[in-house]
Amino acid sequence: MKPKALVLLGLVLTLVLSAACAPKATPTPTSPPTIAPTKAPTEMPTEAPTKVPRKLTIWADELRAPVMEEVSKAFTAKYGVDVAVEMVPFGDMRDRLKVAGPAGEGPDIIMGPHDWLGELVSSGLLAPIDLGAKKELFLSAALQAFTYEGKLYGMPQMTENVALFYNPKLVAEAPKTLDELEKVAGQLESEGKVKYGFLIHAGDAYHFFPIMTAFGGYVFGRDAQGNYNPQDVGIDSPGSIAAAEWLDMMVKRGHLSKDVDWEVMHTMFQDGKAAMIISGPWALPRIKESGISYAVSKIPAGPAGEARPFIGVRGFMVSAFSKDLLLAQTFLTEFVATEEIMQRIFELDPGASAFLPVRERIKDPDTAAFAEAGENGLAMPAIPEMSTVWSAWGDAVTLIYQQRLSPDEAFKKAAEQIRTAIKGG
Amino acid sequence: MNTVKVRARGAFRPLAFFLEAIPRIAPRLLGLAVVNAFALWFLYQLVIDGVWFLSAAISIIALGINVIFLREHLYPFRWLSPGLVFMVLMVAYPVLFTVYTAFTNYGDGHLLTKPQAIRVLEKEQYLPEGAPTYQWTAFRSPSGEYVLWLVADNGETLLARPSEPAQKVTPGQADVGPLGEDGIPQSIKGYQRLSRVDSVRFLSELGKLAFGQAPNTIKINTLDQAAQYQQQYVYDKKQNALVDRATGTVYHADDTEGVFVSSDGQALRPGYQVLVGWENFQRLLASPALRGPFIRVFIWTVAFGLLSALLTFVLGLFLALVFDDPAVPARKLFRSVLVIPYAVPGFISILIWVGMLNPELGVISTALQKLLGWSPPWFSDPWWTKAGVLLVNLWLGYPYMMLVCSGALQAIPDELYEAAEIDGASAWQRFWNITLPLLLISVGPLLIGCFAFNFNNFVVIYLFNRGGPPMADAMTPAGHTDILISYTFRLAFASRRGADFGYAATITTVIFLVVAIITAFNFRYTKVWEEVSESV
Repeated sequence: MKPKALVLLGLVLTLVLSAACAPKATPTPTSPPTIAPTKAPTEMPTEAPTKVPRKLTIWADELRAPVMEEVSKAFTAKYGVDVAVEMVPFGDMRDRLKVAGPAGEGPDIIMGPHDWLGELVSSGLLAPIDLGAKKELFLSAALQAFTYEGKLYGMPQMTENVALFYNPKLVAEAPKTLDELEKVAGQLESEGKVKYGFLIHAGDAYHFFPIMTAFGGYVFGRDAQGNYNPQDVGIDSPGSIAAAEWLDMMVKRGHLSKDVDWEVMHTMFQDGKAAMIISGPWALPRIKESGISYAVSKIPAGPAGEARPFIGVRGFMVSAFSKDLLLAQTFLTEFVATEEIMQRIFELDPGASAFLPVRERIKDPDTAAFAEAGENGLAMPAIPEMSTVWSAWGDAVTLIYQQRLSPDEAFKKAAEQIRTAIKGG
Repeated sequence: MNTVKVRARGAFRPLAFFLEAIPRIAPRLLGLAVVNAFALWFLYQLVIDGVWFLSAAISIIALGINVIFLREHLYPFRWLSPGLVFMVLMVAYPVLFTVYTAFTNYGDGHLLTKPQAIRVLEKEQYLPEGAPTYQWTAFRSPSGEYVLWLVADNGETLLARPSEPAQKVTPGQADVGPLGEDGIPQSIKGYQRLSRVDSVRFLSELGKLAFGQAPNTIKINTLDQAAQYQQQYVYDKKQNALVDRATGTVYHADDTEGVFVSSDGQALRPGYQVLVGWENFQRLLASPALRGPFIRVFIWTVAFGLLSALLTFVLGLFLALVFDDPAVPARKLFRSVLVIPYAVPGFISILIWVGMLNPELGVISTALQKLLGWSPPWFSDPWWTKAGVLLVNLWLGYPYMMLVCSGALQAIPDELYEAAEIDGASAWQRFWNITLPLLLISVGPLLIGCFAFNFNNFVVIYLFNRGGPPMADAMTPAGHTDILISYTFRLAFASRRGADFGYAATITTVIFLVVAIITAFNFRYTKVWEEVSESV
């Protein structure tokens, strides 16, 4: 009898207490979103227009959150719509979006690179964007990058690509071809002026890709519409293998070393021990700070033509779970995609702007040089199959650096591994 | 005690019982009620978000707490309950959830639940063929009603109100004022023309309205465009399918694959989460990843775990023994200094080591180069890389073992050593026959813990050389220092559809089983040690 009475009493008390707490506790997180839309049609007349509780939420990383914070003040002032900018670490953004979006707690707009598209679009997390006539104002390669299966899913902000850094005190003029580059590097090394004439850090496929294109190699072929085709793996195409042979030759002649990682490569360039390196705009701050003289130029051309680096495009994407898709899209097309705001963003977050009126007027020689080096670049494939490529391809490059496989074997094996993974292994 | 009395008297007298019991149990009930109220609120939130697994875990915890606190004979459990709560929440729940995920297709492309996927797909719109698009201008009445003035591509103009047929209107008619220079009426009686800026202000409201009469309603698509957009996919419960209204195609829900597929095999994006049974396990078994480098990776994983535990223990014990000797000067200072590697965050130490070992610029390598004219290829030779990882892990791990052994050494009674000395045992015999066996009783389980930890020590492997150098002959990308968990990482996040959590969970489950079995065996052996201690 007694335990039952206790349970009963406990239950009664529980109910009373939870009844007392619940109404106070629950409204805060759940009700505002549901109340707002239902109220609008019925009670609107008495409300002043600016009081409509509308808010856009933007997720941006550590670097861009302050930029958007600054810029969106003008939007709030002009249109009476609050913009909340939340700083979300770059590495966490996708995973958080995957959880928060479907739960209805995600942002309206996220800022990120275009190669997130494959994973986000295939999971249904992004809404297409219609830029209308504003399309003309963006770099077409950047728009192409944000196009997935024929639909545009992002508004580009800026482009990033690697280029050739060289030390003008050691190399008077940037070499135009890879042959020339090898000659210059060899000369500098034999004269003892530098330890390495030219460096790409070991085992990295991304920085090696432009050279692969200079030999006619590719990663994925494209179909008639320009979409990347995962059935056409080009890692073992004749061009790619020719590039791998060039790499092997550079290692054999002692120009490239298996022991040079990203950090060592930059340190050597900054100390004047390396005359030329391939790196991206993210290395600019440290190179500038070191005080070494440097210049940025195109990556030298090869037998198949110009070197075409991967282009990464950063931009704005609209969440499919945004509660106000129209407003989110309008924020981008009507407000952000204007010369004034894009120029402001460019000033706060320097990088080759993807907005042509701003891009064409870039005065900073380095940024302009990066933009030029990326002029004929290729959008980094955003298809989900790309994730099968990095590990296998990077390993192949490493094995050539370490001289443990012939270039032919290494790249053929990588292509085979990639095809197996795409088939579902 | 009181309860016994109540029962002994036979008849249950409610009033007396409550008067007597309430002051005694009131605080407990109050506390329980607070916990329950919190749990209910939490559950309510979780159920709204559809987080079933965590809801179940929370329910079990809440129920358990209630039972424990209401049942007198479960009294001892009251003290254990916080620990039990954390065990359910931090150990049991993640393990069960991982095992569950192993049986789903959860991953990129199948992230959403079915209702969520339907919601996303039902948002898709299409423009019927031949339907014109319009430039729009909105007019707003003081009471918040809207009218759209539409200009079609061919110059045709329409006036559209919500739920009334859109009509052609000439200026002067129907309260419409004269056209302005832009070809749009300056005013409509009762309404005020919205500027572009004002249109953005009211866009949220405008966007929700459908102008004109169904089914030919006109919706605003962008700030510059409105058209007869129609919802493209409609979910039909009876058929369990999405119907494409533009083409009439029916996409049936394939609940074994988690996608909507048409009869000709066309699948809609996104898919949704479903249980796929043993599919992930079959895929793992059939995968060349298993036939290829798996065995080598597995052997190295075990070797890495064992050697890490052993080496850190040997060095830790040696240092503990040295600093246990009162003859060593400044013992405390040395001991404190030696603990420093333990205090520095692991990933920082690892990166510093990577820098120091670098053959081109690293301090250690360049020093060796100058002294011996040779330095090990720390990052490109399979064996030297393995040695390098073990070296770094030794640096990270020995302080812990030193601390543990120092403590355990204090617990060995001095009489044993005195007796041994009288019996004429040498220092080595004393160590081998007294110190080590007695030490292992207390340190043995920690060694197993150390092994299990290093079995899954992703950070050291990944930060040191990302599992490299790569195996030249592997059928799937793998490295010579890859352990199972870093190999899993490569497999799961380098699959054809990006991140494949279901598959990753499958491999994790398998690894979990392997570790569990090895640990169970290990504990058997520690029982052997305990028997030794009893006989000593």
